[in-house]
Amino acid sequence: MRDVAIIGCGMTKFGRLDGKGLIDLLAEASLKAIDDAGAGDKDFDAVYVANFAAGELTHQTAIASALVDQLSLLPAAADRIENGPASGGSAVKNGFLAVASGVYDLVLVVGGEKMTHVDTDIITDIVATMSQPEAEYVHGVTLPSLAAMFTRLYMQRHGVTERDLAMVAVKNHSNALKNPYAHLQKAATIEGVMNSVMVSDPLRLYHCCPISDGAAAVVLCPADQARKYSDTPVRIAGVGQATDTHAVHEREDPTVLKAVQLASKRAFEMAKLNPSDIDVAELHDAFVILEIAESEDAGFFKKGEGAKALEDGKTTLDGELPINPSGGLKARGHPIGATGVAQIVELTWQLSGEAGERQVKGAERAYCCNFGGFGNNVVAHVLERM
Amino acid sequence: MMRDHMVGFKCRLCGNLQYPRHVRCPKCKGTDFEEIELGDECTLLTYTKLYATPEGIEMPPLLLGVVEFPNKVRALGQLVADDVNIGMKLRPTWGKLRILRGKDIYGFKFEPKISLTKKP
Repeated sequence: MRDVAIIGCGMTKFGRLDGKGLIDLLAEASLKAIDDAGAGDKDFDAVYVANFAAGELTHQTAIASALVDQLSLLPAAADRIENGPASGGSAVKNGFLAVASGVYDLVLVVGGEKMTHVDTDIITDIVATMSQPEAEYVHGVTLPSLAAMFTRLYMQRHGVTERDLAMVAVKNHSNALKNPYAHLQKAATIEGVMNSVMVSDPLRLYHCCPISDGAAAVVLCPADQARKYSDTPVRIAGVGQATDTHAVHEREDPTVLKAVQLASKRAFEMAKLNPSDIDVAELHDAFVILEIAESEDAGFFKKGEGAKALEDGKTTLDGELPINPSGGLKARGHPIGATGVAQIVELTWQLSGEAGERQVKGAERAYCCNFGGFGNNVVAHVLERM
Repeated sequence: MMRDHMVGFKCRLCGNLQYPRHVRCPKCKGTDFEEIELGDECTLLTYTKLYATPEGIEMPPLLLGVVEFPNKVRALGQLVADDVNIGMKLRPTWGKLRILRGKDIYGFKFEPKISLTKKP
């Protein structure tokens, strides 16, 4: 297996991007990544396009074929990768495997979603179709409702308080103010979060990510060719993926994110690193409780101690393990197919010292977790400066 | 089709109980199951009152919860109650769940279990 490097990154701004279609967004992020790699004149072997629901949201299918044609990357192999909210992580993983195997030498991975033009109750329904059809979806389950029941159990069993939940949102909004690509560019206060409108008791509006448009892209090549393209390449040191029960109620302890544990363990094993080696992390905080739970199940803090680490300031930008310097899904936004790729883009910028005002000083190793379904399909990556 | 009892699935090979049904048993990968009645009493494990309901839910907010039957089988469903708390006793009851693509969808919900013993 060959080492694989990230040699170019690009993303659109996340937010409500009226007047731009899904293919426009994917193309914009792709071109930025290709330019960043200095690969504008190169033939690509393959393009992986992460997307959750183009057919349902934008009435367009086979979007990978559409994109390679628009980008004039023919006859590159082109596939759409769909793994719910972990589509982006899955696409990066597939790009990694293709280069690591020796089959492809130059690969573009791009993820995107166009959502904000659709009514919220319809988006809520489309997103809910990823739940178990007979045991969850048909009863009116939504992803926020699953997160709400998870939050209630977590608060009860692990002593997480409403104030802790609010602190995650306040921290991530504050980070997003330093990220020009972020969707929500406004500070949040503890009181503001705790008094925001109830979405699914005890989950409030400010505990949830927004609905966003956007795209993000990376270019991959074998590590031994990376310096031809980039002065600051980043190695994909470890990749892990794991699945868990479709219906959340079937999990022995529903507050344990087993797929996060296993995916992370596999990624750290491949990288020959430990959670304590990580300098910066991007976690999948579609709901703020997930940042706390993932920080434990990924191995950074003991189960039940994630909230304490947050209260102690360990996860702020200048803490010992900054989490979600980008603002996370909470404030950078969550164009579903883009998110997993955007996490990789943020961490690549962090490791190459290009993260501007939100730069984590001296970051050399990074971790991200992209969380599909309600934790039933999780992709973790470990990245390392070369 | 209205059903009298909510059912789970028992693997004929290893005896594992499951809900919902899987093509293969999560414990032993067996493929032969018998339906078993889950009974008329279960306990509420967690719940939420959902305000941002999806398309097809007629009367928001919607109370949703996860219950556990005495045989440890768990299920998620709508709660027909004004006020709920963790640990309360519920029982399955048949009713309309939502509208999907213009069709009424029926299934089991959960309501507070009322004691059937006659008062003197």
